[in-house]
Amino acid sequence: MWETPNRIGMKKGWWLGLLVLLFLFAPLGVSEFYLTVLCEALVMSLLALSFNLLFGYMGQLSFGQAAFYGLAGYTVAMLITKIHFNFWLSLMAGVLMASLVGLIIGYFCVRLRGIYFAVLTLAFGQLLFVIIYKWHDFTGGDDGIQGVFPPDFLKSPTHYYYFILFVFIASTYLLWRIVNSPFGQTLKSMRENSERTEFLGINIARYQLIAFVIAAGFAGLAGAIWVPFYRSVAPFYLMWIKSGEPVMAAILGGPNIFLGPVLGMFIMTFVHAWVLGFTYFWPVIMGSLILTIIFLLPGGILGFAQEKMKQRRERSNLKETP
Amino acid sequence: MSLDVLFNQFMSGIARAAMLFLVASGLSLTFGVLRILNFAHGSLYMLGAFLSYTLWKSLLTPSLGFYLAAILAAIIMALFGIIIEFFLLRRLYARGWPEQLLATYAIVLIITDIVKYGWGGEFLSIPRPKPFTGAVFLFGFPFPSYNFFIILLGLGLVIFLWWLVYRTRLGDIIRAAAHDREMVSALGIPIPRLFTWIFVLGALIAGLSGAVTAPFGSVALGMDIEIIVECFAVVVIGGMGSLPGTLLGSFIVGEVYAFGIMFKPELALAFIFMVMAVVLIIRPWGIFGKPER
Amino acid sequence: MRKFIFLLGMVVLGSFLLTPEVGAQAKKPTPKEPIKIGSICDFAGPCYMYCETGLNGLRIAIEEINAKGGILGRKLDLIVRDTEMKVDVAVRELKDLILREKVDFLIGPCSSGTGLAMQVVHSEYKVLRISAIANTEAMTVDKFSPYFVQVVPNTYMEATANTRYLHKKVPNAKKFCTIAPDYEFGRREEAAFADEIKRLVPDAEILYQAWPKPGEKDFTAFITAIMAKKPDAVHSSLFGGDLVAFTKQAAPYGFFNIPFIALYDLPVLMALGPDAPEGTFGFGRGCFFMDPNPKMMAFVDKFKKVRGTYPDAWAVQNYDAMYLLKAAIEKAKTTETEAVIKAIEGIPFEGLRGKFTIRPLDHMGTVPCYQGTIAKDPNYPFKIWKDIVRVPGEEVIRPEQSVREIWKKTGVVR
Repeated sequence: MWETPNRIGMKKGWWLGLLVLLFLFAPLGVSEFYLTVLCEALVMSLLALSFNLLFGYMGQLSFGQAAFYGLAGYTVAMLITKIHFNFWLSLMAGVLMASLVGLIIGYFCVRLRGIYFAVLTLAFGQLLFVIIYKWHDFTGGDDGIQGVFPPDFLKSPTHYYYFILFVFIASTYLLWRIVNSPFGQTLKSMRENSERTEFLGINIARYQLIAFVIAAGFAGLAGAIWVPFYRSVAPFYLMWIKSGEPVMAAILGGPNIFLGPVLGMFIMTFVHAWVLGFTYFWPVIMGSLILTIIFLLPGGILGFAQEKMKQRRERSNLKETP
Repeated sequence: MSLDVLFNQFMSGIARAAMLFLVASGLSLTFGVLRILNFAHGSLYMLGAFLSYTLWKSLLTPSLGFYLAAILAAIIMALFGIIIEFFLLRRLYARGWPEQLLATYAIVLIITDIVKYGWGGEFLSIPRPKPFTGAVFLFGFPFPSYNFFIILLGLGLVIFLWWLVYRTRLGDIIRAAAHDREMVSALGIPIPRLFTWIFVLGALIAGLSGAVTAPFGSVALGMDIEIIVECFAVVVIGGMGSLPGTLLGSFIVGEVYAFGIMFKPELALAFIFMVMAVVLIIRPWGIFGKPER
Repeated sequence: MRKFIFLLGMVVLGSFLLTPEVGAQAKKPTPKEPIKIGSICDFAGPCYMYCETGLNGLRIAIEEINAKGGILGRKLDLIVRDTEMKVDVAVRELKDLILREKVDFLIGPCSSGTGLAMQVVHSEYKVLRISAIANTEAMTVDKFSPYFVQVVPNTYMEATANTRYLHKKVPNAKKFCTIAPDYEFGRREEAAFADEIKRLVPDAEILYQAWPKPGEKDFTAFITAIMAKKPDAVHSSLFGGDLVAFTKQAAPYGFFNIPFIALYDLPVLMALGPDAPEGTFGFGRGCFFMDPNPKMMAFVDKFKKVRGTYPDAWAVQNYDAMYLLKAAIEKAKTTETEAVIKAIEGIPFEGLRGKFTIRPLDHMGTVPCYQGTIAKDPNYPFKIWKDIVRVPGEEVIRPEQSVREIWKKTGVVR
């Protein structure tokens, strides 16, 4: 079942507020390195949320979100380094570019379902990757572009952290409003039963295209704010391997819960940073983690938890009736 | 551009296509019946290659040793396939395909580290076994005989699979199960055992094709990711789950690459993805594929 | 919603303005504590192997130095991190080394891609890095940073030197083909080849350039395409597993009847064994048989005792890098970064590869480039080189004027 706004009320609100407060005061208690990891977790969570708009809410698995992420990053990098364009306008240009390309690619993708949708997004993503990789005169090829600096007052990690946090909270709120709007409800109904939705006169392709563009835009936003943080961009950011990360995060955390992908991504990012500190055998740990969660916690961590709480609620309801 | 040069390029495309078909056929078979796109297929291929190297090294007879090592490696990979299917995939048939896909990706990660741990990062090489060490002459141009061996192997596999799928009872069951799983189960045929056999066959093919690659090129980390992307292109273009489709897809990918290299080498890779995208847009289920119900 | 965003913005802005700026600060040298060396490695793909052998060389150097009392009385501590060949992981692990482990110096990586991404970051944190494997010229020229020192011959130097060797061996060759992996390394080496061969042979023609993707496993189509052009000689920057695969696939075509030069160094020759084409030319950066001087042979003995195999160029370069760093720290009498940088510029250094220094202009080491011809040797179970030429770095380093011209275009001010 889906979380709707009227179910939250005050009860859910308070722990969310606590979480936000924790994040606001994080720089006071967290070392600079872990602040960096926190930034990474937040940006990648935004990417994961954008992915989940299509996956959890629309039922379509996109293997190309990283292409929009990387494309926006390249736009920002090129505008800033080549023509010294204004930082804020560059970010907007990045998001616009990602959305525009999302519109073009989405037009073709939304006519497909299931595995075909997934593979087409993968093909387009790889095509974009190859174009950027091979067009070395324009994009720098596999050297990438370095020297992408934010304005001076954002150069410090703490300041940039707050910037990322602000963008993250605002975007999350926006996405929350979108999935709980009539538009969002229509998307969910398409996931449940596309035939019935079509009979209601809804043009599925058009709705899916709008969702695709929104997802591309938010993925682009994640990429746009990421590149100045790490001061560089490289073709790797568009690869299907990168696109796989939000997929894993969503399934791990729970695609049916709004914040599921965020939890999944936080776990992945922090465990990754922690593990690489003492071994380079990360893949086997990640693989085992994935299998553990798939087998023991169906529906992802939050999905499983929600299911358990529902069962407990139902059991206690049964006990109440005489 | 003289005719014999073009022919030579065409033949190199055929060799590449044969190589691709060897690997992709296993993927196609698994998808056709089990409806699982096995990401780990490339990893089984890679593990087969590394295993065959070690076996060959310990067998001490350079040429005969290779053939034995290849067969042994294939068998070991088949056993590995039993373990994967029985303990992991079988429990996921009831789940959605994204989780199945993710599980196969988890296997990719685990096998990557197995190889890292077992063989380190060294790139390994096996010299070509006799009698395929030299070249034969076509139109005055030399053509490596090992490439011919691969083409013959590919043809052999085509014939074997065709016989299996169209001329045996198992093949009838396979085709029926690909079409309607529930009905086949209702007829009393044990679907789980069938699935295991198919997956094991896919693993065997993967291991064998990996072993065959070792004398062809080099065996190194990362060969799993490379091959799986090309296999995806092959099955997408040819039609997922269709054997003639895989054959055609391998041919198309092989030749597009061969001629792309001759005329515009930087874009050869991009061409493959473009063809993939075009096929998906025009005819998503591939040239020989059937639309999913 | 508007109220919410506004409130949020105010809160965030407030916290933002109240927190002091935690900026990029150089680490203050702490005497008597161990000197921490951070080795950033790419444990993936082809780089996995190079990083491992490189670490072997680095570890031997560190053990030797520690056994003799360390540097300035302080022992050396080695911390290793993996980038997984991904640029974002690379920067994060770099920050781990700088912020959490608080390393004094960095050595690495193998991949030029991760190297460039990290260079801009560790330069901001003012930590010095030496590369012992990655060698794109972009690191010293295009994207120069004073916090980077190079002890590997860069793509320009290496290709210029090996072109001269090829020309010396085949002086009448006018028609060439090239085959190189299609990424920056291959592109730069072939670009330098094209420039140098046109200088040596004014009417030289490059008929066809093959660009297999890095990690290509099937070169057949490239082989036939090159042979169809009937070149006088072929220049290549293929290396590692790619070169092994290429060699095996090209041999039956009679490819090696054409003069050919590529990175036939120790790992490739060991992997190929009897398949290594005799009479074909190789180039490399200094594995043991390329420069059998006494210091090198002593290192070989030690390496064989510790690792059971012969040291390749990556082990040698890492060893040299560590000793170069030691020399610079001792000359500066401190581990403070700016002082070490000043000390390392122009420092006279003698390592396993002979004498070289670090050019103050771009921190490029005047390190030697080696070329040779593949031949059997009764002392070893694999083929090595004969007719070895050692080209001192000064002869092939990019002239200052040329460097400054590039700097004008890329905006480096020095």
